[in-house]
Amino acid sequence: MPKAQNSPKASQNLSARSEFWAGVREEMPLIFGVAPFGLVFGVLGLESGLTPWQTILMSSILFGGASQIVFAQLWAAGVPPLIVGGSVCVINTRHVLYSASIAAYLRHLPLRWRILLGYLLTDEAYAISIRRFQHAPPGPHQHFHLLGSGMLLWTSWQFSTIFGVLVGGTIPDSWSLSFAIPLTFIAIVAPILKTRADLAAAATAGTIAILGQPLPWNLWLITAAIGGILAGWLVNRLNHQAGATS
Amino acid sequence: MIWFIMIAAGLFTFATRFIMLSNGISNRPPPWLVDALGFVPIAVLTAIIVPAILIDPADQTIALWDNPRLFAAALAIIAALVTRQMITTIGVGIVALWVLQWAM
Repeated sequence: MPKAQNSPKASQNLSARSEFWAGVREEMPLIFGVAPFGLVFGVLGLESGLTPWQTILMSSILFGGASQIVFAQLWAAGVPPLIVGGSVCVINTRHVLYSASIAAYLRHLPLRWRILLGYLLTDEAYAISIRRFQHAPPGPHQHFHLLGSGMLLWTSWQFSTIFGVLVGGTIPDSWSLSFAIPLTFIAIVAPILKTRADLAAAATAGTIAILGQPLPWNLWLITAAIGGILAGWLVNRLNHQAGATS
Repeated sequence: MIWFIMIAAGLFTFATRFIMLSNGISNRPPPWLVDALGFVPIAVLTAIIVPAILIDPADQTIALWDNPRLFAAALAIIAALVTRQMITTIGVGIVALWVLQWAM
């Protein structure tokens, strides 16, 4: 929970420019993960039957890697549009958490700033800039840090998508590039599986995803996602109750 | 139709990012919702990972032992846990798959 605003740390008057470039610099290592992901999405978009423009503009309109992959895969499978939209929305609800966590540092800004920074609030930009907000001394231009991390991420995502669309057709199937998608997600999920509740969420989601394959309209995906969330939430709750009574 | 769904989902996604930055909403989300949303990445991504590894793209059946993707994914999981780097994880997994497909 953000507490830095109440902390007695001295204000540090970094210029807007140095905050911005600090955000860019700190975001840089994450680009090595984001760029291949964007490239894979660009390739997959075309393979799924989206047009180049649909693929490229989806990276600006949705601007969320996992949800774009799901959109393309479900669309290619002929899933009804409302279920495609619903699945994408469920996946992206997690941003409410980032928004809530970072709000204390951005609420005082003018509306146009909050709209811009809200749009740029991705997993990767949040992860980098929340560190600066929570751990570095507050400054009057600190929001430029998120602008820097967010804009670098946005730019890399757009360019890697465009690159994927351009080279996609030339990559042979034998390279199994689509396998990079589960690999990307393994890189995200494996290190964050820490508690029993996390493991319950993963095991439930994985099991439903397999058993639910016969469901119509690829409903296995959204069923597995919701089942996993419920399982994690329940185990978490039971653990807390056990902890409270013992 | 695809544009309509894309833009509607895009607006929803923007709303999830902006909602707590808007001045209209002064309360934090209830704790049960915060707990539940915390499991979204694990649940969604695992639901994508597992079929992508276990289901044979050729005939849509579950493949276990005769499945190079399963072993490549296991090596990638180890790489992810040890290095915590996305680029290394993808590299290990893809190269392992190439080697196993060639060998099996």
